[in-house]
Amino acid sequence: MGRIKAIIVKEFFHILRDPRSLTMVFITPLVMIFILGYSVSYDLDRVDAAVIDQSQGRQSRRLAQAFAANRVFVMHGRESGGELALAEAEEMLRGRSLRAIIVIPPDFDRRLAAGRPAEVGLVIDGSDVNVANLVLQYGERILLDFNAGLLAGGGAAALPLRLDTKVFFNPEARSQFFFIPGLIAVILLMISAMLTSLSISRERETGSIALLFISPLRSREIIVGKTVPYIIVALLDGAVILLFARFWFGIPLRGSLLVLLAFALLYIVAGLSLGILISTTAPTQRTAMLATLLITMLPSFLLSGFIFPLDSLSPVLRALSYAIPATYFLRIIRGVVLKGAELRHFWFEGAMLAVLGAALLAAATRKFNRQRKAAQ
Amino acid sequence: MKLRYLVKKELIEVVRQKELLFLMFAGPVIQIIILGYVVSSDIRRVPVAIVNLSRGQVAERVSERVRRSPLFAVRFESRQGADTLELLKKGRAKAVIVFRDARGHGGAARAYPEVQVLMDGIDSNTAMVAAGYFNGIIKGYILDDLARRGRGLPLADRPLFRFNPQLRSINYMGPGIVGFLLTIITMFLTSASLVREKEQQTLDTLLMSPLASLEIYLGKALPAALVGLVDMVIGLLVVVLWFGIPFRGSLFYLLVAALVYLAAILSYALLISVLSTTTQQSMFFAWFSLMLFLLMSGFFTPVANIPQPLRLLADINPLRYLIQIIREIFLKGNGIAYFWKDLLALAGIAASLVSVSLLNFKRFISR
Amino acid sequence: MTGATPAIAVRGLRKDFGSFSAVRGISFDVAPGEIVGFLGPNGAGKTTTIKMITGLLRITSGTVAVNGLDNRRELPRVKRMLGYMSQKFSLYPLLSALENIEFFGGISGLAPRELRAAMARMEQQVAGAILRQKIQDVPPGIRQKVALFVCLLPDPAIILLDEPTSGVDPEARRAFWSEIYGLKTQGKTLLVSTHNLDEAEYCDRILIIHDGELVAAGAPDELLRQKRQASIEALFQDAIREHGQD
Repeated sequence: MGRIKAIIVKEFFHILRDPRSLTMVFITPLVMIFILGYSVSYDLDRVDAAVIDQSQGRQSRRLAQAFAANRVFVMHGRESGGELALAEAEEMLRGRSLRAIIVIPPDFDRRLAAGRPAEVGLVIDGSDVNVANLVLQYGERILLDFNAGLLAGGGAAALPLRLDTKVFFNPEARSQFFFIPGLIAVILLMISAMLTSLSISRERETGSIALLFISPLRSREIIVGKTVPYIIVALLDGAVILLFARFWFGIPLRGSLLVLLAFALLYIVAGLSLGILISTTAPTQRTAMLATLLITMLPSFLLSGFIFPLDSLSPVLRALSYAIPATYFLRIIRGVVLKGAELRHFWFEGAMLAVLGAALLAAATRKFNRQRKAAQ
Repeated sequence: MKLRYLVKKELIEVVRQKELLFLMFAGPVIQIIILGYVVSSDIRRVPVAIVNLSRGQVAERVSERVRRSPLFAVRFESRQGADTLELLKKGRAKAVIVFRDARGHGGAARAYPEVQVLMDGIDSNTAMVAAGYFNGIIKGYILDDLARRGRGLPLADRPLFRFNPQLRSINYMGPGIVGFLLTIITMFLTSASLVREKEQQTLDTLLMSPLASLEIYLGKALPAALVGLVDMVIGLLVVVLWFGIPFRGSLFYLLVAALVYLAAILSYALLISVLSTTTQQSMFFAWFSLMLFLLMSGFFTPVANIPQPLRLLADINPLRYLIQIIREIFLKGNGIAYFWKDLLALAGIAASLVSVSLLNFKRFISR
Repeated sequence: MTGATPAIAVRGLRKDFGSFSAVRGISFDVAPGEIVGFLGPNGAGKTTTIKMITGLLRITSGTVAVNGLDNRRELPRVKRMLGYMSQKFSLYPLLSALENIEFFGGISGLAPRELRAAMARMEQQVAGAILRQKIQDVPPGIRQKVALFVCLLPDPAIILLDEPTSGVDPEARRAFWSEIYGLKTQGKTLLVSTHNLDEAEYCDRILIIHDGELVAAGAPDELLRQKRQASIEALFQDAIREHGQD
């Protein structure tokens, strides 16, 4: 134990010798969460649209009004004041100044008056699938209300089914509640991995790794000694980030902070172990740097549920997601922070984090040991 | 041409490390393929619970439709009131659908039940989409029911999606990732380049040589640009050949945009390398920038959703314009008339970054 | 030594890093064709002084003239006269010896023909395969040889060597010094820093630096006679002790 201490102390000195890096470890995540907390959002609150009313009747004008009255749809006409022609509107769609065109065909009023079903065309820019889906939903909701109005006005029974939707945990459906805990998870993993990912490759580049190789310490002790000091740094960092999210963004902390920090500890150890494994594998700092980024960034974005829900993934990808530490912590942090979930809800996630951390650490030790033997 | 030797040296340093070589050329392919499958898996199998307290037939028929739909995965069913909140809390279901017999004014049972959807709103996007799916099922049921009784809804909508008629997400995301990989690779090749020369003690020798600072600058930027372009071509091939995304526009303008973008991102990375004194610092700098570039580029979520003061940051984000241009060219097959503004903005950003970075670089060299 | 313009003339040279003074106003000359040893313990200010002579480090106060040219005003011309080999043999670890030679020769403006000739010369001195291995996997002795070779490629008249013999085995060190003598016979001027005191005997003159100040300067035998010391080691200890007292 005393021997490990020497390595820990040495590594601590290394951290303190570079105060600029240490500052960056604490400042950059806060700036990132501040900016991205506002910027990463699905909350579409403006759809630029135009109505092409080819019917020009009473009903068609009522429908156009229904769209104009909606909070989300912002209607555009000609600059001169008149209505756009269909071709012009299509051109604007192509040029990104419109997102949707509502086309009311010439026979609209005639058909409705005759009691025959009429059609409305919704031309939507489909390039961003997410946005297109939202626009379609908003549009359909307006049409549904219009339908109900027609039915009621026509003397028939209103829509036969009552549908009532209640949203829990995030009643205003703010995507901040979804993204900020996710950002915390992704950032914490990347910071942890980056803290350790250069440590061994740096020693390899400067040649001081030879001193480590010939030291009386066991490989396990060296690897653990190089990881431990960063646990404290990363855990402090995690606490600072959480408090910032709590007090700046008003992300509620419905569960226990202690429970969250306990899981964060497991998560951080997994991240640090990943970093140290990269560090033992990469021959130079440059390679370690690129590897850390490629291995942690996109996978934690894509395969953890940060942005894309895991339930929708194919079985192969879902299996892959089990190897990503962020997957587990994301579930934990969203659960504890937003739903007030407790320790007992997450024993599986916690166990998986511990297993991942231990496996990565063991792999790093093996790798280091093999290089050590090869060097002697 | 002394520059030739600088470029050759940088390339040797890349090629000689098989790990780096793998990361740079195989890494992107793997990432694009994974991303492709992730984004093309549209939201499906949303886990739901059904609590059916209605005694009527309608509730059962609607439930049956939910069960058969591939969009939902029914994880739990109950005929009694269950602790719905606990179901959501545990994450077993993202939504709970409750059917109750509705009472009319006089307390008489109505023909149709009352439907209540309780949703876990944390993933607001999935919640919205799932609600949309469920609305669709209900709508379908009503239409069928009305049709059975010889009536129809007076108004139907016919949606038409331009540029991406089947709403395939990969068509939108795939080309974008090419821009992102271009960034990640070139940024990491160059952002630690001066630190590395310092740590290897080779910087002094470079500075003692008759090389001009512009030559050293270009000697760092050009090899990275070359690697970036090769990566971009590989990425485009994967996107087009593997995922069958149609390429509709002009390859020439794509290349022009990529070159302007490379000038911007490489000068930015070289600025990082001037400002950092250790590899760790340059890594943090690069990571920080990369996260902001990526998440404010419209790659995952629309730029239009960014609130005003921060939108200014998005407006000077070069990646935003590159991704925009790539999408215009790829998806819509649009000509320069539709994105000259983006290209101009990108060029402006590139010009300012190059001058700031070159100035700092020169100051650093002549210290 | 008198009359001719000194190859290097240092006057009142000083370097402050914040409140810490690494070099505190030293003055000395190096005459053309001479080998001067720059002796002192680690951290005495040797590297700082050499870097200020090369222009790599900004001078706080004082002047450096190389062949009569002020190194601040005429830096590009001064650089062309100087050859500099930094500590730890600054070579690209992932490149082979031959690739390093090609690179450094290339950037100092050698023509492709001259580069090929230089590489051939190296291959005559060191046999075969080892020159094609990554330089990081090559023994330090060879690395040192390549580093000196690289430093001499642009054919500089004045050569500054910073700790060229650290970490090298005694045999390679002897071989190195015989090469240095070869350079002297070609008329080159050399300033060689070292913390190995026994290397003083190879030098025409030595400068002893301690805590940023020059504590002794002169030909080795002369200094020994003057200070009545039996060895450089004793001379060195004595000079440092004396310096510490005032």
